Amino acid sequence: MRSLLGGVTLAGLVAGLVMGLGIAPRETTQGNVQRIMYLHVPSVWVAYLAFAAVLVASITYLVRRAEAADRLAHASAEVGVLFTGLTIATGSIWGKPTWGTWWTWDARLTTVSILFVMYLGYLLLRGMIDDRERGARFAAVLGIVAAFNIPLVHFSVYWWRTLHQPPSLMKPGPGTLPGSIVTALLVNFAAFTLLYVYFVTRRARVLRLEAEAEA
Amino acid sequence: MADNWSFVFAAYGLALIVLVAYWRFLVRREKELSEGDQVRRLGSDVSRPGSGGSEPQATAPRAPSP
Repeated sequence: MRSLLGGVTLAGLVAGLVMGLGIAPRETTQGNVQRIMYLHVPSVWVAYLAFAAVLVASITYLVRRAEAADRLAHASAEVGVLFTGLTIATGSIWGKPTWGTWWTWDARLTTVSILFVMYLGYLLLRGMIDDRERGARFAAVLGIVAAFNIPLVHFSVYWWRTLHQPPSLMKPGPGTLPGSIVTALLVNFAAFTLLYVYFVTRRARVLRLEAEAEA
Repeated sequence: MADNWSFVFAAYGLALIVLVAYWRFLVRREKELSEGDQVRRLGSDVSRPGSGGSEPQATAPRAPSP
């Protein structure tokens, strides 16, 4: 089952790469550098998804004390941090040719950095507390509190004057993007979502084996 | 605007390195833990009373063949 998921994920990623770098049209204003979007936007989608899963799993853990929920929260937070880091790095690479700078303290960039640091702190907190049950409880509380930052990141481009453009796809109302760009973006969204599921499944299994080895 | 393909390849290359490195970390860690798990299970089987590993040898050691 896992190798099937891995195979489908790999096929999806290859399809996304071909669509993003080859089939999708060259954007008229930015040129080919806009192709970074097919990597940058699905990465932030996975980060949102991962941290939303941390929120749900953390609430489940506090209510039911199910260790599987704690493992899911831990695995999902780690994958979320990985993809948030990728979002920041690819955004910075995209920013240099389009904005003329690698970094600026714009509202979107600042809030996403805070999100990254909060979940990095979440992972550090887990590693610092020796008592597994106590660590899981504290992490669950932090996982719930940190999730309040997700809407702040997403709506920051509406609430403040920012250099970062507003969302092109993840917004209410009719889309303004051409169909070929939307298709390439959706293929990458699907591939990255599968990659998220694959990574979280494997990481949760590793966490279970680690817990069994310590017991 | 210039196409800036170098920035595109830098972004995709970085993502490839990071994702492959994380995948390799997961595979290696899972393999280490699975092997450790097998060793532990084997160890518990050997030390369990009544299992073959802890019982004295019923037959005399075989003499070396000429």
